[in-house]
Amino acid sequence: MAFPTSHKTVFVMDHTLSSSSGVKLEMDTFSKSRSSSSSQPVSQPMNLIPLLPVSKSLWTCAVEAITEYCRIVWDIFPGSRLIRFIAVDKSCHKLLSWNIEEQSLTNLMTSFMMLGPAKNLGSGKVDLMKGLKAGIEALTEPSAIQHEKRTSLTENATKVLNKGRIILVTKMDSEDDVKVLKEKFHDILLHMNKTAAATDNLMAINHCDLVILNLWPDGQVCPLPRRPWPDVSTIMSCELTNIQGGTSLAPKLCNLVLKHYDLASTTVTGIPMKEEQNASSSANYDVELFHPAAAHAAILKGIPAETAHLKTYREGTDYETVTLKWCTPRSNASMELQHCSSAYRITSVDVNSRPSSCLTNFLLNGRWVMLEMPRKSGSKVISHMLACHGGDIYIHTMYTARSILEDPPSISEGCGGRVTDYRIPDFGELIKANRLAPFPDILLEGEENVTPLEQSREQLVRHTKYWPITLSSTSLFNLGAQIEPLTTLMLKETLTEEEVVECKQVILMLVSMEVRGEPLPSPMAQRGKGMKREDQYRALWVELEQYLQLHLHSPAHEKVLECFMECHNKVATPEYKNDDKVDIDQALKELDEYNYMTEREKAEFNAGSGSKHTPTDLSTPEGKRKRTIPPPLAPMGRSGGVSLLTLWENKVSSEQSRRCLEFQGRMKAEDNVTKLYVNLKQKEKEKEEGSRKSSKV
Amino acid sequence: MPTVILLDVSLSMSRGVDIASPSPEDDDVEPLPLRRDLAVHGCNILLDHFIQHCKLEFASLIVFSSVYKVLMPFTRDFEAIKNALNLVDECDKTNIEVGLMGAAQHILEEWGNGTPCQIVLVTDGNAGAGQHTLQKAMMSTHSRVSSQFPLPFPFPAKLSIVCIANPNEASLQTSNPLYQRLIELNGEGDIHIPEGGLTKKTVSRMFEQLIKTNFSSYSGTLHCGKLSAPITLSPPPQPYCRHHDFEIVRVSVDSAIHVLGFLNTGDVSSPPAFSRHLVLPLSAKGDMVMLPKTDAGSDDEGGGNDEGKVPSFCVLLHGGLKRENMVALCQVGENWYGILYSWADNKKKSNLMLSMFVPGTEIIPWLGKLSNLGPASKLSVNPYGSVQSTSPFPIKVTEKKSYGLNCVVWVRQGGLQSDIQKILRHARKLPDKTQSFYKELNRVRRAALSYGFGELLEGLANVLERECTLLPSSAHPDAAIQLQHAYEALRNHDKKDIRQNITPLKTTFSGND
Repeated sequence: MAFPTSHKTVFVMDHTLSSSSGVKLEMDTFSKSRSSSSSQPVSQPMNLIPLLPVSKSLWTCAVEAITEYCRIVWDIFPGSRLIRFIAVDKSCHKLLSWNIEEQSLTNLMTSFMMLGPAKNLGSGKVDLMKGLKAGIEALTEPSAIQHEKRTSLTENATKVLNKGRIILVTKMDSEDDVKVLKEKFHDILLHMNKTAAATDNLMAINHCDLVILNLWPDGQVCPLPRRPWPDVSTIMSCELTNIQGGTSLAPKLCNLVLKHYDLASTTVTGIPMKEEQNASSSANYDVELFHPAAAHAAILKGIPAETAHLKTYREGTDYETVTLKWCTPRSNASMELQHCSSAYRITSVDVNSRPSSCLTNFLLNGRWVMLEMPRKSGSKVISHMLACHGGDIYIHTMYTARSILEDPPSISEGCGGRVTDYRIPDFGELIKANRLAPFPDILLEGEENVTPLEQSREQLVRHTKYWPITLSSTSLFNLGAQIEPLTTLMLKETLTEEEVVECKQVILMLVSMEVRGEPLPSPMAQRGKGMKREDQYRALWVELEQYLQLHLHSPAHEKVLECFMECHNKVATPEYKNDDKVDIDQALKELDEYNYMTEREKAEFNAGSGSKHTPTDLSTPEGKRKRTIPPPLAPMGRSGGVSLLTLWENKVSSEQSRRCLEFQGRMKAEDNVTKLYVNLKQKEKEKEEGSRKSSKV
Repeated sequence: MPTVILLDVSLSMSRGVDIASPSPEDDDVEPLPLRRDLAVHGCNILLDHFIQHCKLEFASLIVFSSVYKVLMPFTRDFEAIKNALNLVDECDKTNIEVGLMGAAQHILEEWGNGTPCQIVLVTDGNAGAGQHTLQKAMMSTHSRVSSQFPLPFPFPAKLSIVCIANPNEASLQTSNPLYQRLIELNGEGDIHIPEGGLTKKTVSRMFEQLIKTNFSSYSGTLHCGKLSAPITLSPPPQPYCRHHDFEIVRVSVDSAIHVLGFLNTGDVSSPPAFSRHLVLPLSAKGDMVMLPKTDAGSDDEGGGNDEGKVPSFCVLLHGGLKRENMVALCQVGENWYGILYSWADNKKKSNLMLSMFVPGTEIIPWLGKLSNLGPASKLSVNPYGSVQSTSPFPIKVTEKKSYGLNCVVWVRQGGLQSDIQKILRHARKLPDKTQSFYKELNRVRRAALSYGFGELLEGLANVLERECTLLPSSAHPDAAIQLQHAYEALRNHDKKDIRQNITPLKTTFSGND
């Protein structure tokens, strides 16, 4: 229902209800229990003066019961259902406002404490109309959400209806009094509506529900008969309840809170609990909870006969409760995604009882409890779940019927299901890099009208500008750790100087790898037909250029691209010394020629023999190895400017050597890196060992 | 959405097409078809549509006259329903109420009250002999005397009334307002009448129209930054239209679903979902592909498996989410969000699932306002920590609830009693329990003052005074001093600021604190 009446409630309380409610507490028993329970006999016989019992006034009973009403409302509807109080004696005392911060039990208790006990003014001294007027006035004040919706400038703004309820707690002497009060109330309501309509900051009341609780002291018989009170007009409904003495007030308000807020009761049965006295044995307990009635809709709406057995009346109550069975919870339930159709806050009915606090503490400590519904047929089904999130306990409604999603096809049976080389680990990293977290309020104002969630969406765009989804469609991301940290850093919005250098080093390292003729982990490796090394590098450079072009988020990013371009002679490099530059230019030009030549020659060479040095031999094992073990960074030369030249020389020599008959030592070496030092060390070792052996001999 | 084909098999369905109004298009020399043949023909069109486009849907066939009979319970085997259609018997009179009741019963038994369903009522446009009773039944629902009438259905349902009738037939003219009323009562639905005469062609066209309005499948695109994939959702998502506290929310699912970021599965904590849908990647041609199950590994280069070999972002997303045990928060419409996650019906088969929340940004309290969630990497301190062992969720509530507050409730017998007993228990263990004693004492004192229950303070003071006199000679001297201090303070409650708690008396015996 839109615009619920329960959004705003005002209790108008007669602060002169000082007469006794008849609820008594025996004080003598407290001391006696000691002497009987203590094992030591009392040392000296006492002639104790009996203590008088204390009795509650009607006011005390009313405040207790109303506090309980508020406890239930605020536990289940924090912030969305508001309650205010007006106490009337010689004057009007207003407690709390519609402000959400003030709507709390602690606040309410303090306010009542400041108000003090009921005042005995004698009958007829209290002007209830003053209180009711203040109550109506309170209802014309918009709550924060009403104000927000009313001034939202959307088409619905004018349609915000203002409904509310006034609960009057007093003692009415006759039916005529009630009639007069109702009529006066209606007049005030109309009058106040006129006033409110004339202002900007007040709202006229579209409907007001007046609930009169006629509270009669113990011992006196209430003269008013029970009868329905017809609605006065379309904007006002009225209900009167006679309550005799203090004991029946709390159950009546409990009944009203269920009705006013459309709540329902669930009894969790069979909760195993250690006995207080005997910790080794455990007994089963029941705990009753309140929650919005909608939590039962999934099980109760439908065929009534199927669920009639779930509903019972608890002793001393006038409402039905649905009994569900406690299931011993699995410890990891909270880590899995349970399918729920709704979740509502709960509160326990007898909040301080031992079974209740045991259950709520169990839940507050993070455990989840499944509730089982017995079916008429005798089978059982998990229908609800109790869980605490951030300090509030909720009842989740689970799906109990057959699922229309049963026996779904596996993702591998659909489009793309047969592809086996998705970059899933890499995507996992992307997922982790794009985790969401709540932003503090300070950060919310900073960005001009871009919500954090929109920022996250923009970040995802940046992270996926170039993102091949399979390994076979990329050379760049087959490099694995070798391409790091370039692909991580380039995603950032800005780069520091050091990060630019790190990215440049990756590019230079790749260039040096090419020069040294190191094979790349091939994307085609799986198919068994390797690409030629030159093609591999060409593909890599094309991809890397595309990647860098797409990630020009800042001038620093451009520097990385510039570096790449310099390496491939695409942009002039004014930073370098003239003579060096010429050398590089020439070197690269020659390199290209060499590349062309080798390609053709190599094709012939492969067609001829194809046994000795096939790329497949190299690339397949390499591909696997390279993803895990990054090679040590090649020495970049003694000074920055010379390095490329050195690299080029290396490249040329290696290419040349390949065209000639392979040098025996190089053939043995792994991927054309001549590990001179290894041999040297080996020889030295052998020598040492030999000399040792000889010395031993 | 599960669909019930509710077929009228009354005797009047065996009428032929009215000769009085032959259609000009109807030039074939076939013998004039019976209405039931046309109905079966139309149902077959609908079932063929399911076979083609809605393989994962469920349909059932219920026939009714003065009684109803479930000919085919809900199944995905649409061919079986087609076969069953051919075996339909001829029965007595039309009673729509019975038919609707049967459909409602069957759906409730199978799917409960939360699953949106479609009911396609195929009838001959003549509410029939039962017309009068139907009218009466509907009137009684209106006056809320009897709640036996099946409409509105106790589950979200669309009721389509398909009339195998000539538009200008007299009986249709009288029945049509009744049909209108049925739709009104249910709240959602439509009436289909052939355009032009009653022929095979017009009936086909009518059913095609029905399919177009009520059975079209969803086709959209799943985006994650620059990555995307064409997808369909099964079952097709329904528009949301519900009353909230301060507005009526009407919103439909967009054709573009955008991933906005990612969350830990544990952190989303089983949020309530408005609806759940399988996310199925579509082929480039826009078809849903269901490859044969991979039982043997011998599917290499099997015929027509090319669709499986074209990479789809959906599969990647599914793999990533499953691997990291995370969910993707996504936007499905205006101010409408949901989560994508890997879900397994059984251990073998997992797939990509979309759970759509109720529209709005403040719907999952423990996640906070959804629009306030941003990239964790942008925060100065990453709340997930360096080893991702911590989490910013759930968002803690500012105001503790009563069950976490140790609040005072005396409305039930025993509440007050046990609170006083607690004080006395501590009183007898003074001075060891001095702090607990005063804590409980102040708790009761504050409550008594709030409840305007001053008499209790005097009574409690008397009890404590008596405790003091009952102290055994072996008692610690501090016990008597504290008790006396406490009962005197209780009695003097109105002399000082009542908000001030009673504090333990500093004695030479306690000294240490």
